[in-house]
Formats: sequence, C-alpha cells, structure tokens
Amino acid sequence: MVAVPALGACAGPQSILDPAGPAACDAAGLWWGMFAVAVVVLLGVTATWIVGMGRRPPTLEDAREKRVVRRWIVLGGVLLPSSCIVVLLVFGIAAGRRMLPLPRAGEAPLRIDVTARQWRWEVRYGGGAALINELRLPAGRPVDVHVQSLDVIHSFWVPRLGGKIDAIPGRTNVVRLQADAAGEYRGQCAEFCGTRHALMVLRVTAMEAGEFAGWLEAASR
Amino acid sequence: MKPSPFHPLQIPLGLVVWSVWFVALYAGLAVACEVARPAPGEGAPLLNVGFGVFTLATAGLLALSASACLRALRREPERPPRDRFVARVGAAVHLIALAATLFIGVPLLGLPPCV
Amino acid sequence: MTRPRTPEADRIHADFDEVWGTPPGWRALTVVNHTTIGLRFMLTGIAFFLVGGLFAMLVRAQLALPGLDVLTPELYNQAFTMHGTVMMFLFAVPIMEGLAVYLLPKMLGARDLVYPRLSAFGYWCYLFGGLILMSSVVLGVAPDTGWFMYTPLSSVPHSPGPNPDFWLIGITFAEISAVSAGVELVVAILRTRAPGMSLDRMPLYAWYILVMAMMIVVGFPPLILGSILLELERAADFAFFDVARGGDPVLWQHLFWLFGHPEVYIIFLPAAGIVSTLLPVFAQRPLVAYTPVVLAVLATGFISFALWVHHMFTVGIPQLAQAFFSAASMLVAVPTGVQVFAWLATLWLGRPLWKVPMLWLAGFLFVFVAGGLTGVMLALVPFNWQVHDTQFVVAHLHYVLVGGMFFPLVAGVYYWLPHFSGRMPSARLGRYGFWLVFVGFNLTFLVMHWTGLLGMPRRVYTYEEGLGWDLPNLVSSIGSFVMAIGVATVLIDIALHFRFGRRATANPWHADTLEWATSLPPGPYNFASLPQIDSRHPLWERDGLADEIAHGRHGLPGIAHGRRETWGVEPLSGRVREIIHLPGNTLLPFVVAVLLAVVCIGLLAKIYLLAVAFALAATAGVLRWSWENGAHPCAAPDATTPPDHPPLHSRTRDGPGLWGMNLTLLANGALYLSLLFSWFYLWTVAPAWQIPASGAARGGGLLLASTVLLTVASFALRQIVLRLARGIGAGAVGGFVAITALGLASAGLLGYALLDPRLAPTATAHDALVVFILGYSLFHCALAALATALQVGRLRAGYVGAGMPYELLVVARLWYYAAAVGWSSYAALVLFPAAWGAA
Repeated sequence: MVAVPALGACAGPQSILDPAGPAACDAAGLWWGMFAVAVVVLLGVTATWIVGMGRRPPTLEDAREKRVVRRWIVLGGVLLPSSCIVVLLVFGIAAGRRMLPLPRAGEAPLRIDVTARQWRWEVRYGGGAALINELRLPAGRPVDVHVQSLDVIHSFWVPRLGGKIDAIPGRTNVVRLQADAAGEYRGQCAEFCGTRHALMVLRVTAMEAGEFAGWLEAASR
Repeated sequence: MKPSPFHPLQIPLGLVVWSVWFVALYAGLAVACEVARPAPGEGAPLLNVGFGVFTLATAGLLALSASACLRALRREPERPPRDRFVARVGAAVHLIALAATLFIGVPLLGLPPCV
Repeated sequence: MTRPRTPEADRIHADFDEVWGTPPGWRALTVVNHTTIGLRFMLTGIAFFLVGGLFAMLVRAQLALPGLDVLTPELYNQAFTMHGTVMMFLFAVPIMEGLAVYLLPKMLGARDLVYPRLSAFGYWCYLFGGLILMSSVVLGVAPDTGWFMYTPLSSVPHSPGPNPDFWLIGITFAEISAVSAGVELVVAILRTRAPGMSLDRMPLYAWYILVMAMMIVVGFPPLILGSILLELERAADFAFFDVARGGDPVLWQHLFWLFGHPEVYIIFLPAAGIVSTLLPVFAQRPLVAYTPVVLAVLATGFISFALWVHHMFTVGIPQLAQAFFSAASMLVAVPTGVQVFAWLATLWLGRPLWKVPMLWLAGFLFVFVAGGLTGVMLALVPFNWQVHDTQFVVAHLHYVLVGGMFFPLVAGVYYWLPHFSGRMPSARLGRYGFWLVFVGFNLTFLVMHWTGLLGMPRRVYTYEEGLGWDLPNLVSSIGSFVMAIGVATVLIDIALHFRFGRRATANPWHADTLEWATSLPPGPYNFASLPQIDSRHPLWERDGLADEIAHGRHGLPGIAHGRRETWGVEPLSGRVREIIHLPGNTLLPFVVAVLLAVVCIGLLAKIYLLAVAFALAATAGVLRWSWENGAHPCAAPDATTPPDHPPLHSRTRDGPGLWGMNLTLLANGALYLSLLFSWFYLWTVAPAWQIPASGAARGGGLLLASTVLLTVASFALRQIVLRLARGIGAGAVGGFVAITALGLASAGLLGYALLDPRLAPTATAHDALVVFILGYSLFHCALAALATALQVGRLRAGYVGAGMPYELLVVARLWYYAAAVGWSSYAALVLFPAAWGAA
C-alpha cells in the first residue's frame, strides 16, 4: 500500500478527510469504515490467490470436491459480499437521510442562493447582499444553498463542509451544509464546464454567528 | 398460458420480470412525485407503502415461478441433462431476481419519497 | 504450420483453400472471413490504443506539477476528451469484439460467423468512423467537451465549432460495428455450434460473449439515439435539450448513461470470459461451479442496466430514487464475488502453473478487486456526493477498466499468440513487461485515490500549489510513464516473437477448448470437418480429435459443391437442423462503408446534397448485397444436399437471417423505447415543458391512417408468404407490388403530416420529438416498402419463391415492426397527451 505513508497527510484546504461539518464528517466516517473492510478483503483475496498458486493438492473424489466448491461459492462468493452490502446500505441510508434538506426543529436553516456561470459563482442572501466567488456563512448553523446555473452544468462543492450538488440550467437544487467552526474553506466547480473549469474556485468563510449577522446587515444595505 | 419450466426462455425470464419491476418502480416514483408531491417531511409516507406493496407482490410472483421450476425438476427426473440445466438455471435466476427485488426495495423503509 | 502433413490432409486442405482462401493484394479488401476480420479488428484496436495512450501521456505531463503549461487549457480539454473516447469506443469495445469474432467460431466448432459480409462491413465502419474522429485531431478541432458530451456545454451556443460534431458523427458511425457484431455474435452462439454442444456444454467464454453481445444490442441504441438527437439539435436547431424551449439537458445524461454503464460491463464481461477460459487451463483442471458462474454472468448482464443513475447522483434526483440505483450498484458485487471465488477455488483445487498469462491474471485479480471495492464505495450515495467527479473516480475507473479489461486482454493475447503466429511467446521479456505495467499502474492510480480524497476534481487542466496535491500528482505522472514503458516492452515482446518465437506444437498449453484443434495458425475454414461434441472439455477427453478433424473424418467434410458451409443447430440442444451456406469474398461491404463514410463527411462539412446523394448510393449498395442471397448464383442456386443431410438454410423457414432480423429489431426497439422514454421524460420532468397550441397538429389522424395501412399490408404479406411456404406461387408478384404500394402510401401520409407548417421543431422540444417520432415511422414505412420492392425482383428472378419463402419471412418482420411502431407512436403522441390533460 503505497498510500499508507500518506495517512498522516489528510489535511488540506479541500480535503474530504479533514471534515469541518456534520455532512462531511458522516462521509469521512463512511470512508474510513469502508477503507478498512476493503483493505482486509483485498489482501485476503490476493493472499488466497498466491497461496493457491503454490499448492499441489491431491485430486479429491467428486462428492468431496463438490462440498468444498459449494463452501467457497456460498461463503466467499455470496455471503461475504451480501453481508457487506447489507451493512453498507443500512449505514448509507441513515447517513444520506441526515444530509437531506428536510425541515428541522429549532433554528431554521439560512438560505443562500448561488448562481453558477462560466466561470464564476454569484452568491446572494435574502436581504440583498451579494458576493462574487466568495461565500460567507454563519458557523454552527445549517445553511441551505440553492444552486442554479445560467449557462452550462456546473457543480457546487465545498468538500470540508459537505457533498456536492450540480448547478443545472432550469433547475434549482438544494444542498444543506454546515460549518462547525469559524474559518476559511475552499470550494471548486466539480463538473467540467469548459476552458476555465479549473479556475472556478469559491472562497468560503464561516464567521461567528454574531459577526456574520453584523456583516450581513451591513452588506444588505 | 404458462411457459414450460424447461423452455430456454426460462433462463432470462426472472431477471426480465425484475427489470420491468425496476423500471416501473423508478418511473412510477418520478411520476408520483410530479403528480402528487407530498410536502417534505410529511408524516405518512403513503407512496413508500404503495411501492412497498408493489415490491412484495413482484417478489411473490418471482418466488412462485422459481418454485414452479423446482417442482418440475422433481416431477420429471428423467428429462435429458440439458433440459434439467435450463430448469435449474431458470429457478436460480428467479431466485436471484427475488433477492435483487427485496434488496433494492430496502431503501423504501428508510427514505422519504420525493426529496 | 502445425497441420498434420499427410497426403490426405494436404489434399483436403488444398480443396478447402480453393473455396475459403483469402486473396492477396487489393483483393484483401474483399475478405469477409472471421479470422481475418477478427485480426484486423484487434490490430486496429491496438493502433487506436497507442493513440489513446499518447493522449493520456499528455494529460499526465500537464498535471505533473502545479501550474504547468505543457498544454493550453483548450488542448488539455481535447486531450482528456479524446483519451476517454478513443479508449472506450475505439479500443476497449472493438478489440474485445475482434477477439470474440476471431475465437468464437473456433471455440464453437464452426467454420465462420453467420454473417461474414456484416462482419467485414462492421470492421470498415469502425475503421472509417475512427479515422473521421482522428482527422479532427489533425485539423485541430478535436472534441473538447468530455467523452460524456454533456449538453449544454456541447450545444452550439457553448461549442460553436465542429468539435462535438466529429464526436457525434464519427462515434455513431463506428458504433455500427458494435451493434452489428453484437447481433452476429448472439446468432452465431445460439445457432452455429458444433453438433451436440448443448447450452450446458458451451465453453464459458461463449456464455460471457452471449451476454455481452445481448447487452450491446440493447445498450448501445440509447446512445445512438442520444447522438442523433444532439446532432439534430446542433445542425438543425431542433430543441431537445434546451431548457428554454421545453427540453432538458438531464435527458442527455440519462440517454448517455443508459448506454454508459452497461458499457463498462460490455468491456468487463468478455475479459472475465478470458479469465474463465485461461485459468482452468493453467490450473490444469476444469473451472469449478460452471452453473453458478453462468448465473453470475446473466445476473451481471441484467443488473448492470439498473445502475446508470449512479453516474448522476449529484443532479438532484430524489434520494429515494438514487437509493434504488445505489442498492442495485452494490448488488453487482455478489455475482462478481461468485466469479472471483470460483476462480480462487479452481486455483485452490488445481495444480496451477506460473506461465506469463497467469502473471497477468494475478495482476488482474488484484487490480480488479481493488477497483470493485472502490466501486461499491462509490455506489453509496452520501459518499458519492463527496468523491463524484474527483480524481478518486478517475482512479476507480482505471482500476476497473485497466484491471478488468487490459490485464485479462494481455493475458489472452499471450495465450492465443500461437494462434496468430504459430509461435510461442518468450518467457523473460513478458515478465519484465508485466512488472513494469503492474508497478507503473499502481503507482499512478493507487496514489490518485488519495489525490481525489484531498479534494482534487477531475478534468481540471491545472491546480494551485499548497492544496496538498503536488506530490501525489507527480507520483502519478512518474508512474504513468513507467506503465508506458511497460506497455512498450509488451508490444516489443509480441513483435519479436513473430520473428524469434519457438514454433508452437499442437495444442501448446494443453487446453480443453476446440479452438486448439485447428492448425496453428488456422486456415480460414478452421476445421476441415466438424466434430460431434459430447462434453465441456472436448480436447481433454478425446485424444487425436484434431487429427481426425484435419483428415475429414467428421461432419460436412466435402467441398465439391463449392459453397462455404457450416452446421446450423437448435439453440438449446445443439442438434443439427440445417446446413448454413455462407457468402464468399465480396467488395460490397467495403464499398457500402466507403459510401457511408462520405455521407458522414458530407454531414460534417454541412454539404447536405453530397450526404443525401451518397446515402442513396449506399442504399443501392445494400440492396445489391441483399440481392445476392438465396438461389442467386453467388449464393446457393443448387439446393441438393447429400441424402442423409438436412436442407440448406435458405430452403428452410427459420434460418439465421430470421434470428438476425429479430435481434436487429430488438436493437431498433431499444432505440425506439429510448425515444418514447425521452418523450415521457420531458412530459413529466422537463423544467419548462411547453405544449404548443397546435398539439400534434394534423399528425394524429394521418399517423392513424398510415398505421392502419401498415397493419393491412402486414396481414396481406403474411398470407402471401404462408401460401408460398405451402408451394403456391400464383399471385405472389402482384401481391408484393400491391404491398409495396401500401407501404409507400403510408410513408406518403406521414410525409404529409410532417409538412404541416404548424409543427415547429425548432421552437419547442415537444414538436421536435413529434417530428422525430413521425420521421422514425416514415423511415420504417419506406424501408419496409423498399425491402419488399426488392423481393418483387427476386421473385421474378426465381431467387425466392414457392417452397423457399425464407427471405420473405425475414422481410415480413420489418412490416410487423413498422406497424407496431405506428400503433405505439399513436398511443404516445395522441392518446397519452389526451389522458394526461384529462388527469
């Protein structure tokens, strides 16, 4: 595993493995769980192959061989993957449900409108405040980002806060994000959108709730 | 008209039924959400129940067809091996389709329909 | 050549070569034999692979360090688009088809595929389609909107240049080869096996190819439809995908991935078939769990059609719907697991040998299982939302495709080399090549998972410093060049072996399947006589079989009649049912393909008159092709067969042509269903769907009238053909003329409907689809009429007629299909909107 030495290097401005919000935390947790199981399965299967290559077993009688084969197919071929995917689906459904922008008890999520176009992000707030290529949000409060596009398909993605959602002409998609702590984050267009796709970056700033409220009021005027 | 359990078309039949179910489920959900969209977070997930019943009915049909193949195998042990191969594979394909139907139906238990 | 050199065997070989031989010089263009065509497919595929690899090197060079300027963004976009396109459409699918075309008749104990002219035609379409696409690179206008061509980026407002047109037209042209090979392989597997080779005795490779070919038949048409729609939108401003006019760009994604996901398995299954063929040979025992493996292959084939939305988890589809696809995507892990453990158990119970092909299979196992595991991860919706469209996915797909396709392919090439050259591969250079590729590959792509997890998106031409992406990208780029050196080593090894390889002995690997009973390299007819098969492993259980075959001791040994012949069998039991006579070499497939290539060039250059003229010429070519069947002097004018033999297929009522027609119509039906899907999809989910005041205009009534005519004609045709089958020929010519007239009349009605000035296909997606559906019906009316008109001539000439209605039965299917399309179009265009409006 060449990647193992890099295990310590999970941090990064856009790292999925350096989560800073509940959705991103869920996804990172899923990753580590799946990664562990996958490594065990991969190494097990490869080891079996290598050991099998070196064996010189006696020929078994038919009935015995049939039993051995059945064991391999049923245990390894059917039960192993089946049990893995059942567990995975159950975890996945629970995690996916938590990420949905459903109505929630307590403080309502803040709505922010993001419009993508070649090659920039336009960010608008309810009071009329607007930003270009920059998004500010209050820390600790869920935010529903309503994403639209004016030209081609883009994808809105701030990896440390949560999953991505496409910006598609004619539609408005919603993704719920939350930053647990104030700080600087980085987002980037994730759907290929033409020549300057690589440069379509979004600066994201999470501010303390009070500071954010002050900024929003000032910017709305 | 009942297809013979030894007809070669038994081989793909179970998975064909499964495909039709899958398309109906996906298309039905899209249409249902368009025609009668429940408010997000609404309590009674009627749509889930409806699609759940549809899923169980499909699973039941597949189970019946599989058992028809298996019974025919027991009833007519003197058939040539190639016929028995067809019925055996047919039964197994029905069972695979049954498992696939139930597994893909699982999300109906945990997710709201149209969000 | 490892043919038994006895005077008797030499004489038989000389006789067969007279009929089956492949001519040299310019007449090589006329060759239709599957051995030659299969080799051409593979060589062309390797050439395109090198081109695709070159693009990959450019991409990796540009990404080696942050902020590099090896390529401009424009060129980078062309490079990654062309890399994906070439590898998928011009390398992976065709080379797997080529191998199947080459091997299957030999494994099944047949002399050729069922439609040799179609094989040749497919090859030329592939070559010319690929060359058209390549010409865009030379002209500097290569496609640059990704191999997935998402609209609106690929629509005229955002891609005004001809770049996407080269993709849409070139690839669609090349896809003719995929669909035609799909149809041909299915029929060959079901109908031209060795006598006694019942379904449960078929080599596993044939099961894999059967499923893969069926998947092509059903899976490629959605993309072909999508490409036609998009090209119509680009060239004629039809409004299929434009939101403002009631279309939807997401429709393109559905059509693309409806094809795109099955495509992955279309590539993987034949490769897994190679594994299941080679592994038992080197483990020196049969593969365990034959029936479970067959079941796994079938299940994979079906389930893979229910995965396409997992490429679209971020477009905003309700999560419950996504979860169905998520579950289905995870589910393929089970049949894959069954195969992996069947392979492992075979090794465990066998006495495996570490030959070079086995090295590649071991590499396959590691790389592919790793790719499968990340595939299951990607199927999980909440995780997918994070890693979708990142380098993680790039790593995953290369693990699956290189692991699941390239490694087994190289294993297979090494294994079958003695077949291509009569010589054995070297042991040393092959090992170096393997290790370089294996290490280089993992260096490149294992690290790339990490790059993706650190948040690097795909398809970016550059990146900033300080994001943690610098080192992993550099490692990946270095790895990719190591891998390239490895590939070069393998190619050099293979090239050298043609000169220096040790001569192969008969059945050099001690294999079990029939392709090793031919001489090495094989003659174009494969077998001088066709053996009866009574087990799954004929060469393990019958010593001397190859010798008996070469000495003409088995079926169909005579060639005095001058026809190319092979057995036609019942699909299930493998019992002989007829003698299939096959066409000989002809220039027609080449000519028709050249004419179609000019049509494509005309469309690209927007010289539509040229395109129409050459389309008509191509049609004439196809009609000529169809003329030379049945009792035509070029086919089988004399129907007599030896007394204890079955009849010639052209004198039966159920020859392979009928099966081919059914499968072609199945492909066509998949295209039509995709069209109906588009119609219903836009009705329900297009964000700004508009129904013009004119509705379907006057189309409804005319469509109904035309469909009634078609239905009447179908019934009438059926009656005449049944009378001919009973030997009554009176009135057939007149009847056929009348039926042709009915077909033309119904085409005329539809043409009149299309002339309605209220239909505005450039104004709304609604009208664009109405026009397309009516046009589709019109095309089929005209096609049925034309095919029937041709049969009038052939009835007159006596090439079909009383007692030999076979081809007329084939033509009748076209009519039934056209009528069925008419009725369902009427339901979709007229009845459905009324019901929807009422609801």
